[in-house]
Amino acid sequence: LDSSSSQRPRRRDWTKLIYSSDLTPDQILSSNKEEDSRESDAEVDEFFHIKKSDSTNDDEMLDQTKEPLNPEALQQWEDEEMLDSIRNLFITGASTGDADE
Amino acid sequence: MTLPSSLIQFSGHHYLRHRLVLSILSGKPIRIDKIRPDDKNPGLRDYEISLLRILEKATNGTIIEISVTGTALLLKPGIISGGPLTHECPLSRSVGYFLEPLIMLAPFAKRPFQLTLRGITTDDHDLSVDLIRTVTLPHLQLFGISDGLELRIKKRGSPPAGGGEVQFLCPIVKQVTTLNFVEPGKIKRIRGIAHAVRVSPQFSNRMIEASRSVLNRYIPDIYLYSDVYKGEDSGKSPGYALSLLAESTTSAIYCAEATSQPGVAPEDVALLATRSLLTEIGKGGCVDERHQTLVLLMMVLGSEDVGRCRMGEPTVRTIQFLRDVHSLFGTTFKIVPAESSGSSNQLMYSCYGTGYVNVNRSLA
Repeated sequence: LDSSSSQRPRRRDWTKLIYSSDLTPDQILSSNKEEDSRESDAEVDEFFHIKKSDSTNDDEMLDQTKEPLNPEALQQWEDEEMLDSIRNLFITGASTGDADE
Repeated sequence: MTLPSSLIQFSGHHYLRHRLVLSILSGKPIRIDKIRPDDKNPGLRDYEISLLRILEKATNGTIIEISVTGTALLLKPGIISGGPLTHECPLSRSVGYFLEPLIMLAPFAKRPFQLTLRGITTDDHDLSVDLIRTVTLPHLQLFGISDGLELRIKKRGSPPAGGGEVQFLCPIVKQVTTLNFVEPGKIKRIRGIAHAVRVSPQFSNRMIEASRSVLNRYIPDIYLYSDVYKGEDSGKSPGYALSLLAESTTSAIYCAEATSQPGVAPEDVALLATRSLLTEIGKGGCVDERHQTLVLLMMVLGSEDVGRCRMGEPTVRTIQFLRDVHSLFGTTFKIVPAESSGSSNQLMYSCYGTGYVNVNRSLA
């Protein structure tokens, strides 16, 4: 039945990630994509440290409900195949997704 | 007077709205510190102060203390009183910013809310009044909150000058019902609202036409409505927007919208909204990302039974919301991959309702 072989071997344990890890919500979601983006603090041995500006500059990440629209990402819908790929989610679409009128 | 044992501590200005809501609903005092301490302009913003003010007006006996610098606040919640209420929203945020938390509180008030909000009705950050009316309020109906639930858009107000006015009417309930929403169904109809104020009324029609050029391929049941507001009712600034929603056979609703930007043609605004809707449809699930927290909150407050809902992966806001729910209500959700979801990343969220009873409700 499933034609695609195991697309993601590692299932994420969301309950554990949310309730019993110290990761911030951003870290949980970003580790979803890339695993090894963490910088080693060991190489910084200068007397003066540049203060990590993550909390001050991104500060105006507003408490907002709508994610900003990303026109570049939305351009994928110019593609006819892409448009047809969700046809099976409509009542008019066949379950296999190859129906055409 | 201080009860340090029951005081719950948070840090930072993020997630302010849902923390205030959870505090008021649970009746537990919270303290939030480190509100933009390193910012050039530290402390609470004008719209956050305004939100605190409206929460103070909508409740009785609430004590809010803000430190001199504005970087810390203490909230000792009172009871949700409701009733008639008018509030001028600052022009830094749309009325959606204020309505979203109030919608979470309103069903549990002493008296039904009759709330009038003035300000910006549609912007890029929060749900527009159109989406709140057509998408958010139907989500409350899933929990048995329906009779007399209404949002009237009296006047529209585009940024920057606003001038809009909406009236929100919400019935009160004793308890919300348990949700069991696991079947997303298939899309059976698409609805949309286009509005254009203080610009050529043709803009609405141009947006509708552009949107139809994409959507017509899917289903015949598409109705995109051009909502006309004239004169005084069209606010103080020019602007236009298209709000779309797709409804499934099981009443799952997906929504998207795009608003006018300088130098962007109405057709392009419409295409943004339309493609964004297709993205939402593609994600599937029974509840879209913007309504995750509302639905999860109502599940927590549901009767003492297991509520279940199928949704996509949690957003950043949802993850923090779940953690804050855990600190204030002690409720833990079980989140497991939804069976029979195929290749998608859909998850099944379930929790045991707290059996929250609206004790504020006045008995006739």
